[in-house]
Amino acid sequence: MKTVMEGSHAVAEAVKLARVQVISAYPITPQTHIVERLSEYCADGTLDAKFLRVESEHSAMAALIGASSTGVRTFTATSSQGLALMHELLHWASGARLPIVMAEVNRAMAPGWNIWTDQTDSLSQRDTGWIQMYCEDGQEALDRTLQAFRLAETVNLPVMVILDAFFLSHTYEPVDVPEQEQVDEFLPPYNPRFYLDPDNPCAFNQLAPPDVYMEMRFSIQVAMEKAFDVLGAVHRDFGRIFGRHYDMVEAVECDDAEIVLVTSGTVTSTCREVIKKLRSRGKRVGLLKLSLFRPFPVGEIRRNLLKARKIAVIDRNCSFGAGGIFAQEVRSALFNVPNHPWVYGYVAGLGGRDVTPEVIEEIFRHVETLECPEDDSFWIGVREVENGIGSSR
Amino acid sequence: MKIPRELVHTFPLFIPRSYKTSEGNKTGSWRFLRPGYLEKTAPCSSACPLGQDVPTIQMLTVQGAFKEAWEVILRENPFPGICGRVCFHPCETACNRGEFDEPVAIHMIERFLADTARRYGLTPHLEKGPSREERIAIIGSGPGGLAASYFLTLLGYSCDVFESQEKPGGMLRWAIPFYRLPLDVLEEEISRVESIGIKIYCDKNITEKDFQSLKTRYNAVFVACGHQKGRNLGIVGENLPGVVDGLDFLIGLKRSEREPRIKGNVAVIGGGNTAIDVARSLIRCGAEPVIVYRRRKEDMRAFQSEVEMAEEEGVKIWELKSPVKVEKKNGKLMVTLQKMEVSELDSDGKAIVVPDPSEKEEVLFEMVFKAIGTEPSEAWYATAPPARDVHDLFSSRIVFEDDYPVLYGGDLFSSAKTVTNAIASGKEVAIALDAYFKDGKAAIMPEIERCRVGGSSALSMEIYINGERSKRSPHVVSFREINSDYFTLVPRIPQPRLLKEERVLTFAEIDLKISASMAMKEAGRCFNCGICNQCDNCYLFCPEIAVVRRTVEDGVFRQINYDYCKGCGLCVVECPRNAMVLEEESA
Repeated sequence: MKTVMEGSHAVAEAVKLARVQVISAYPITPQTHIVERLSEYCADGTLDAKFLRVESEHSAMAALIGASSTGVRTFTATSSQGLALMHELLHWASGARLPIVMAEVNRAMAPGWNIWTDQTDSLSQRDTGWIQMYCEDGQEALDRTLQAFRLAETVNLPVMVILDAFFLSHTYEPVDVPEQEQVDEFLPPYNPRFYLDPDNPCAFNQLAPPDVYMEMRFSIQVAMEKAFDVLGAVHRDFGRIFGRHYDMVEAVECDDAEIVLVTSGTVTSTCREVIKKLRSRGKRVGLLKLSLFRPFPVGEIRRNLLKARKIAVIDRNCSFGAGGIFAQEVRSALFNVPNHPWVYGYVAGLGGRDVTPEVIEEIFRHVETLECPEDDSFWIGVREVENGIGSSR
Repeated sequence: MKIPRELVHTFPLFIPRSYKTSEGNKTGSWRFLRPGYLEKTAPCSSACPLGQDVPTIQMLTVQGAFKEAWEVILRENPFPGICGRVCFHPCETACNRGEFDEPVAIHMIERFLADTARRYGLTPHLEKGPSREERIAIIGSGPGGLAASYFLTLLGYSCDVFESQEKPGGMLRWAIPFYRLPLDVLEEEISRVESIGIKIYCDKNITEKDFQSLKTRYNAVFVACGHQKGRNLGIVGENLPGVVDGLDFLIGLKRSEREPRIKGNVAVIGGGNTAIDVARSLIRCGAEPVIVYRRRKEDMRAFQSEVEMAEEEGVKIWELKSPVKVEKKNGKLMVTLQKMEVSELDSDGKAIVVPDPSEKEEVLFEMVFKAIGTEPSEAWYATAPPARDVHDLFSSRIVFEDDYPVLYGGDLFSSAKTVTNAIASGKEVAIALDAYFKDGKAAIMPEIERCRVGGSSALSMEIYINGERSKRSPHVVSFREINSDYFTLVPRIPQPRLLKEERVLTFAEIDLKISASMAMKEAGRCFNCGICNQCDNCYLFCPEIAVVRRTVEDGVFRQINYDYCKGCGLCVVECPRNAMVLEEESA
């Protein structure tokens, strides 16, 4: 049934429908609405889950690692500094092969304090061994959360479902909330491959010397690679049951495009409109939306981008001293292919600054006029600032 | 379409897993701080003249173990029904909860437990020591004498109590008005004490000559005959008809079939509890009493709450006035009152007053009641025969005449003339005598010292007989040492009372009963300072699972497994009530 709801609440609905058994979280804007709603569900009995209140995000993740080790379905949500505080345990969760699912609402890192959207927080956790999926709207947030549990529990890796702050987390949109029976069909109860069993005591994750450690790491890498196949199967099963079809990437008008814009998150929706407008003016432009960041869908990217001449990646993040992170990844994905297109990187919309259709058109014009990228990344919409220490308002 | 099963099963999953124990790694060797269980002393226990184990009483009450809680009281106090009503509860003043929200209503719970035991006709299980040959004579069956006989009997001695009046109880029976202490409560508590094997001889006034003969028949004599005589004012006209001793008035009320009707303005001279008892009794007899006090209201020795209730009931208090003369005038008494003024404050902040010669007034009263203090009715009670071998303890005096012990206690010795202090005096006498009979004179002071609760003058019989409490540290837990994060603000239970309109009409008990659920809720407010109430925080918080919980016959025991305790101290910090200690590991 379609219901108008916040992106945050779409995630909470999915978690409820997924019959999660343990939730542990620490509040942080802009994530709070997710766990707030879930705590209400736990309190009123709508969701039969243990809700653990903890004193920090570090503890939230630690608690879930403990809970997940016992073979139950677990969930948390966080943002920005909270995610950074979890960092140590993010590695632990993946290394311990625990299928924890986390909603991560992209928020800028401080200082200066900024609660608005920016992908640097989640992309800083790129190498922690978590699967990362970026959502465009409330429907995708709900659907990806359901898929995340299925994917995580199949490959034994944790999954982050990532939403833009406010543009998605706090925006009300119509969302089709599936029936419980449908979800139960899609997502059977978690059947762990290993778990702590008091009747058969053992210890997990003790010392791993050099003669075994590397194989353990390789096992994670293999699972990541297998995740493409699994996610493909998950998408097909999801489409069969719910009638909504997803892929790791979505290509719009890419077949004959000379220039393809690459986006993730809510900027994609804006970009769809810009593409329509530019096409009506006869521009051969396409759009590639990236939903999956880890594992990085190199094959899908090559398949969709190699025909174009120029690729413009819009990054709402920056790896200082290098540039936008999606741009780097796309550039790497294409580099070993002969006659690959130019890759232009654009950093835009940091700290919640709006990426308007005008901004995207400006990027397009820049790519169109520039024969080849003079620089690895371009910052869009940065004002000149007087020398000295700035003051905000 | 489902995910093909074979795809799932071909997934590599390679993680460390071990079925071997890691207990060989004794991580306790890393420790440089050592946590341990050490129960301490609660401030209420230390402030109680009887050193009662208040936190344990509250803990058991919360659990609904009312009989056990009552028995814990009876180890230190034979009269919980009386003390729950008339004690001035210094325990509540000392209560750490007072720094958090409001003190726990300890006296209401004490009374509840006593009333509950009475209602169900419970017989307490009291541990009695092996019989001893020594026989003790006790003069006076007031709270001091009865308490001494109770504790001495439990210690194995046989005690005979001699009472000059027709019934036992002393001031409990004769001076405290029924509205504070109903007769049935008193009689039940006395008969319970008597039933452990104490003989009380009533109508047996001990003269000085009798006293000498007691010494030949008993191994010790405890003189606890109290103060039965009101003090004189020392002014002209105080023996005129209509000028009545306040204590005699209270005793007369108790003896009369029905209370007399007294009309008009009457004066009550004094500022102690007797003055308040007299004035409030007079209100109930129909009079309009005025308390005339030479100092300020805040200087009165009477309990603050009693003063407040007296005023609520209509008693007027004239402060800074002192009677200098009483004369007969037109069938009434004309009292000349001297105005007093504060010259300075003493170390307790009480006023020292001097007459203001410029002001005197004359006031007509129907009657005048004297209540400025009491004294022994016979001179020999208080003055010990000349002897060099005198040991002054906290609330009693022991005098050896050729190694024969004679003890003086209760109101005869205590400066604080309250029921609870008299009971404490009786307990002290019992400990001193037992120490003397077992180990001689030199043992008395060390034993008294050993039984002190938290370093105060309160003595614990349980500590004396080496009960569980003797393992506790005398350190008195302060509010700072309580982990108040574990407690939420909960208002103190209000005392249900008769309305003041109802109160002034009868001598019925003012303070009403509380229900079991109210008592349990109130007891649940107790921090249980310094004692383990088995909350299991230590067990739950220990990150090393080094707190070992073992279920044995009488409950659950916790121990620290020092092979694996790294000394992080979490257990100590998370103990809400400071029942643990963290010390530097000795080398």
